[in-house]
Amino acid sequence: MATPNRTDAQQHADDILVFRRELARLEQDGVLALTELQRQALAAHHDALLAQYAQTFDIDRDTRGKQLSLGMRIASSFGALALAASVFFLFYQFWGLFGTTAQVALLLLAALGSFIATLWVQAKDASGYFTKLAAMIAFACFVLNLTMLGQIFNLTPSDTIFIVLAAHALLLAYVCNSRQMLAAGLLCVIAFLSARTGIFCGLYWLNFGERPENFFPAAMLLFAIPLFIRHERFARFDATYRTFALLALFLPMLVLANWGQVSYLLLDRSLIQGLYQILGFVLSAGAIWLGARRGWNEVINSGFTFFAIFLYTKFFDWWWRIMPKYLFFLVIGLSALLLLLVLKRLRTAAVNLFGKDQP
Amino acid sequence: MIARPHLKTLLAGCVLIVAANAAALIGVAYNRSGEADSTLRLSQRELPLPHAWRAAGENSGIALRLQWQMTMPESGETRHGSPSWLDKPKLAALGFDLPAQHGLAASKQRAKEVLLVLEFDGPARQQALERLRRRAAAEEALLAANPGKKEFEQRVKFAQNRMALEENGNSRLYLIDAGLDRNALRAQYPDRTRYAIVRGKIRPSVIKRKHEEILIGFVSSLTGNQINLPREFHPALGSLPPNAKKNSELKYQFELAFGQRLEPWIVAPLTTPMTAP
Repeated sequence: MATPNRTDAQQHADDILVFRRELARLEQDGVLALTELQRQALAAHHDALLAQYAQTFDIDRDTRGKQLSLGMRIASSFGALALAASVFFLFYQFWGLFGTTAQVALLLLAALGSFIATLWVQAKDASGYFTKLAAMIAFACFVLNLTMLGQIFNLTPSDTIFIVLAAHALLLAYVCNSRQMLAAGLLCVIAFLSARTGIFCGLYWLNFGERPENFFPAAMLLFAIPLFIRHERFARFDATYRTFALLALFLPMLVLANWGQVSYLLLDRSLIQGLYQILGFVLSAGAIWLGARRGWNEVINSGFTFFAIFLYTKFFDWWWRIMPKYLFFLVIGLSALLLLLVLKRLRTAAVNLFGKDQP
Repeated sequence: MIARPHLKTLLAGCVLIVAANAAALIGVAYNRSGEADSTLRLSQRELPLPHAWRAAGENSGIALRLQWQMTMPESGETRHGSPSWLDKPKLAALGFDLPAQHGLAASKQRAKEVLLVLEFDGPARQQALERLRRRAAAEEALLAANPGKKEFEQRVKFAQNRMALEENGNSRLYLIDAGLDRNALRAQYPDRTRYAIVRGKIRPSVIKRKHEEILIGFVSSLTGNQINLPREFHPALGSLPPNAKKNSELKYQFELAFGQRLEPWIVAPLTTPMTAP
């Protein structure tokens, strides 16, 4: 069987472990009894598969391995961020001691060298942890490269930097199968598209954050990408696209629902706030429905989180000042109970409507 | 060894990095090619060191701040805010779509990048000095009419200090005009050693003044007002005497040029470094 990536191999290994435990229970209860020959053949087949996956993908073969693996993921993420910060501070510490030519050469060599080193590490590292760490450092070196060029030569800032950084981050993300790099790339894409929307609407590009509506086109584009481009070889890339799309949609909407004066709309502030509050409720409820319909957990979770935030900010606006605190928190608690009941019913309805979880 | 399937990735990544650097450096070369758009001879008054320069041990680079002032409608001069010449007709000329009535549409006006004109030690500064001299004279006259009164003594002292600061300490760069057409501005201000055209942002805003809502323009910032000082020019800053308390006690002078893309760079130091006594 062809195994496309580490995630699939890990899933298959987990399935084998679950199957072994269930088989032991079935044999203990006398429901199923394999012959010694069948047992040996099955064990040999599974052992061979596990050994192959362990060698090729450095997967976790048991629960303890998984726990350690989680620790390695956390260490890898922190290490990547810390090393990226270290690269920045190292350059700042010494760059003033070099002439302009040496500064430019150092920056270019650091960006090129770290990129090449990432590909080299990837060829050696089956687990992927060191690759992702190297990818983050390579991205930090490239960010440093471009920002410092701007500083050394007093360049006029331009939004083009975001699309160049996005290209670099996305290249690393797809080569190293790294969701961290994908997230960095998507943030750059969001910044670029929002800046362009701002320019189109007459804003100076650096002020694109002043009008939260600038983020909506980027949100729509990011949500649409996984509908047209399939990411079977890249674990949870689709989910990352959708999560960032929903963040780019709901966070600006939350700002507009509370500070209507920053909108492009030439309407009364309270009218704008009311409009975005309604939109926030409708779209977050719609996200929960769509997520349940398509089996997109991240969409359900994002939709539910923002639905709750929209709801509780409204509660705060309406009742924080006029209610005694015990009553306010009682209302919050009761509303949480009500939400639980609604979600329980929704879950039952979803199972009836859309069928059980896919294997 | 890098695996064969990664050779294309390697190539793509290297091309991206080299192309991004090349594009930036070609832009720099173009900016510095030919005759500079303007060249000013500025001192520590216009190019002060950052406040935390000596304390910032973690950044060995030095960026000088371009310091400028502008004439305000009522209160003399200041560094930020709304200059007297940036009125409603000027805002309209700069392409702001101003509503007939103030209110919602006016308050939602957005900042816009325009070209700004900086004048070095010219008529704007002379006017500001003249105004300060008149104010000092008026305060002295008040003191003469009210001899011995502490309040008037302090007002005289304040006015004299303010004038001394303007004469010997403050920046001599004044923001005097704005426009959209670079050629038109250069035709209006042809002296390239006195007038620099720079990019900056202007934002219209509605304010209440004497119970009346009026529309004014704010200069919110100048693009690229942090100017990198290359390593070879660091010695031109000199060094502070051991008992000096402020960076402003350093005396230096640089030639600052603005190129084809109006991006500034320090061309050379003009005098040998020295420190104030």
